[in-house]
Amino acid sequence: IGGNVAAVATSSPGVAAVAALPPGKGEARGHCGVGPSSRREPREVGSPFSSPSSKTTHSGDVIGGAVVVEDQPDVSAVLSAYNQQGDPTLYEEYYSGLKHFIECSLDCHRAELSQLFYPLFVHMYLELVYNQHESEAKSFFERFHGDQECYYQDDLRVLSSLTKKEHMKGNETMLDFRTSKFVLRISRDSYQLLKRHLQEKQNNQIWNIVQEHLYIDIFDGMPRSKQQIDAMVGSLAGEAKREANKAKVFFGLLKEPEFDVPLDDEDEEGENEEGKPKKKKPKKDNVGSKSKKQDPNAPPQNRIPLPELKDSDKLDKVMNMKEAARRVRLGPECLPSICFYTFLNAYQGLTAVDITDDSSMIVGGFADSTVRVWSVTPKKLRSVKTAADLSLIDKESDDVLERIMDEKTASELKILYGHSGPVYGTSFSPDRNYLLSCSEDGTVRLWSLQTFTCLVGYKGHNYPVWDTQFSPYGYYFVSGGHDRVARLWATDHYQPLRIFAGHLADVTCTRFHPNSNYIATGSADRTIRLWDVLNGNCVRIFTGHKGPIHSLAFSPNGRFLATGATDGRVLLWDIGHGLMVGELKGHTDTIYALRFSRDGEILASGSMDNTVRLWDAVKAFEDLETDDFTTATGHINLPENSQDLLLGTYMTKSTPVVHLHFTRRNLLLAAGAYSSQ
Amino acid sequence: MEAAKMASPKSAPKDAQVMAQILKDMGITEYEPRVINQMLEFAYRYVTTILEDAKIYSSHAKKSSVDADDVRLAIQCRTDQSFTSPPPRDFLLDIARQKNQTPLPLIKPYSGPRLPPDRYCLTAPNYRLKSLQKKVSSTAGRITVPRLSVGAVSSRPSTPTLGTPSAQTVSVSAKVGAPVSLAGQRFTVQIPSSQPTGKSATPTTPTVQNVLINPSLIGPKNILITTNMVPPGAADPNPLKRKHEDDDDYDAL
Repeated sequence: IGGNVAAVATSSPGVAAVAALPPGKGEARGHCGVGPSSRREPREVGSPFSSPSSKTTHSGDVIGGAVVVEDQPDVSAVLSAYNQQGDPTLYEEYYSGLKHFIECSLDCHRAELSQLFYPLFVHMYLELVYNQHESEAKSFFERFHGDQECYYQDDLRVLSSLTKKEHMKGNETMLDFRTSKFVLRISRDSYQLLKRHLQEKQNNQIWNIVQEHLYIDIFDGMPRSKQQIDAMVGSLAGEAKREANKAKVFFGLLKEPEFDVPLDDEDEEGENEEGKPKKKKPKKDNVGSKSKKQDPNAPPQNRIPLPELKDSDKLDKVMNMKEAARRVRLGPECLPSICFYTFLNAYQGLTAVDITDDSSMIVGGFADSTVRVWSVTPKKLRSVKTAADLSLIDKESDDVLERIMDEKTASELKILYGHSGPVYGTSFSPDRNYLLSCSEDGTVRLWSLQTFTCLVGYKGHNYPVWDTQFSPYGYYFVSGGHDRVARLWATDHYQPLRIFAGHLADVTCTRFHPNSNYIATGSADRTIRLWDVLNGNCVRIFTGHKGPIHSLAFSPNGRFLATGATDGRVLLWDIGHGLMVGELKGHTDTIYALRFSRDGEILASGSMDNTVRLWDAVKAFEDLETDDFTTATGHINLPENSQDLLLGTYMTKSTPVVHLHFTRRNLLLAAGAYSSQ
Repeated sequence: MEAAKMASPKSAPKDAQVMAQILKDMGITEYEPRVINQMLEFAYRYVTTILEDAKIYSSHAKKSSVDADDVRLAIQCRTDQSFTSPPPRDFLLDIARQKNQTPLPLIKPYSGPRLPPDRYCLTAPNYRLKSLQKKVSSTAGRITVPRLSVGAVSSRPSTPTLGTPSAQTVSVSAKVGAPVSLAGQRFTVQIPSSQPTGKSATPTTPTVQNVLINPSLIGPKNILITTNMVPPGAADPNPLKRKHEDDDDYDAL
């Protein structure tokens, strides 16, 4: 390494790289600055000495052409050094030169070109550190770190602690940052301007770095304003490439199966909501018996295998429909009542809460590794009798299901012991038979709610698991953790069925789509990815948050996604088009809970700032204009309408809101632990 | 630092001040005061471990003093051991690709609670009953060891409803009053292992073969314990007779 660096440093910059290359670089094809090398394989770590020889050939070559950058394994193996583009002492000159150029450029281009500052700064700094030019790195950092955008300050602080090459080795996030390409979206005009300037001789270094570490997604059209850009940037890897959001997503809901609804005296007649089976009709087939045709956006019923509907599930659906008939219609004039469940004296440290769909049980996961289940209704929690007692009961009696329950140990609270670390996520199964909990000890545990014992421990993540959730149909569940992947499991497989890898930092939040075909994961790298359960592909990448994402909520119709992060903003996304469609500002601290009302009219958000806010979801999603420009570029002008959409702010008494849940009748339940400070 | 009564930050030891400054530099503004102590403990423990390792490496390399290379090596080895980091991205993408190629398994309908095979579940009992001898001793007059016939009685002694056997057993225990040292005595327990008469109504007899009986259980009668096939010849008529009487009682057991 030393020899090569010396050779590069002594000769004149720009030409040096050419001289040091072995002549037989056949693998390096035309290397365009717009290389769509979406393969983020680690061979880039050894870092291809990005073929400077080809630079001389590509003045005037095709921009945006489909040129593939092949990494050059031989070269990188030989050199195995971070690309040293020039004299380290001149880095500050290069950077300030670029800064000067951008600041002097036209207003319309300036905002877009300013996107370059941050990735260039980080990459140049890391390069200096990696090649052990500590003093240069330090002075470089001192001089320019204040110029960066405010939302990058946290990253910069972490960066400031990386002063030596050894520090970089253990930091997976930084390594990933170095090896993956930072994506920038720049309009064609601005790009031309930049390219022309950088290709002048003295600025070739920056051009080299740009080519190697940045991916510039060029679009035709008006340059974006600073506001538009600020809305979309913030993630560790820049924005998302446009083609990352082009795959077809089946965001529709699965058809509800038809079955007989038992007639009751109290059933309202004529209540026949769309899609619900008609009463008094004994037909059971659901092909063509409904007026609604197959939704083109809905996945086929058998796209992924789903468990069959048991009798108890059917009864539950009937109950659901009866409750739905009595549901309160919410709207700006009719806000929901909020019932707050405060966990008092939770000195154990409440870390996770979940409520069953019919709002009968609430579970709390605690930092002392216990999981506590409470019954919220007057009906107590009963476990099944012991085997000895079970043999004594009469199995033929009608109420055998009642007799198998043990009355003597019925209680309102059951404590489940088993984890060996704080419990960070809990989830009830839709049929209320199982409970999942995931913990810092790296396991996800399945508990039976009939015996209140642990059934299975799923080991796969070897690092803290931050979140887990059952599928809306049961059987499948997803978990995400510190190892930067999310895993899809089935309760009867001890190994995961799918692994969703791609995030650059921990996966902090995982949610199923209502049709169970897609999984959304929010991560500490500030992106949200939507994964297809069928084949594990990432079908959407949403950037825009400026902090790790802690809450996700799908709208009940499956079309939209709401996300909340530590930056206090709620962002709304259209899944079908892959666009950001709304931004709700108002909270001042991390948003840990998001929930849409049962029919999707209201979005409730709960945050660490001890408030619950209600937003008008109908208004936020209406008039979505998706003209060609928007779909092509992915840019949308977000209206500043947070104030209009805010329907109410409800303060709690120093209780951060950890969980929100709309009952079947649209009463809003909230949960949190009272903190005295 | 003058002797201050309160542990104000100004009079905290220099190490603690440095640690507080580090926390501030890294952007951590809110923390319990114990955190500083924990961090100091960790720092001390880490540094001493590394330096001890470095000493070992340098003495292994026959160097006179510890130098930076030794320390570097020590840090590297410790990092691989204690501070493991999650797998690198390429590895994750690779295994993800492999795992995601297999299609999702079909779900068998109506298969009860869907759990992994038993060895991957936590549903097995985590206890094991101790041997049953203890239970026998605790129940006087009712030898609950199943399938055991005692000596001349050669019938289920555990059925107190039996006339003679229970009398036998009662007598057995009654005589236990006298301190009995049975060590030298021999006991016979006929265990009719095979029933050629096809008396399958007796579910008890053929199963237990090698039963060790605590000699203190049996009374002072001379009862010979034989654990192998006892020709049921002589005892047969007796047990057979008893079996007939016992038949009705088996259901109650």
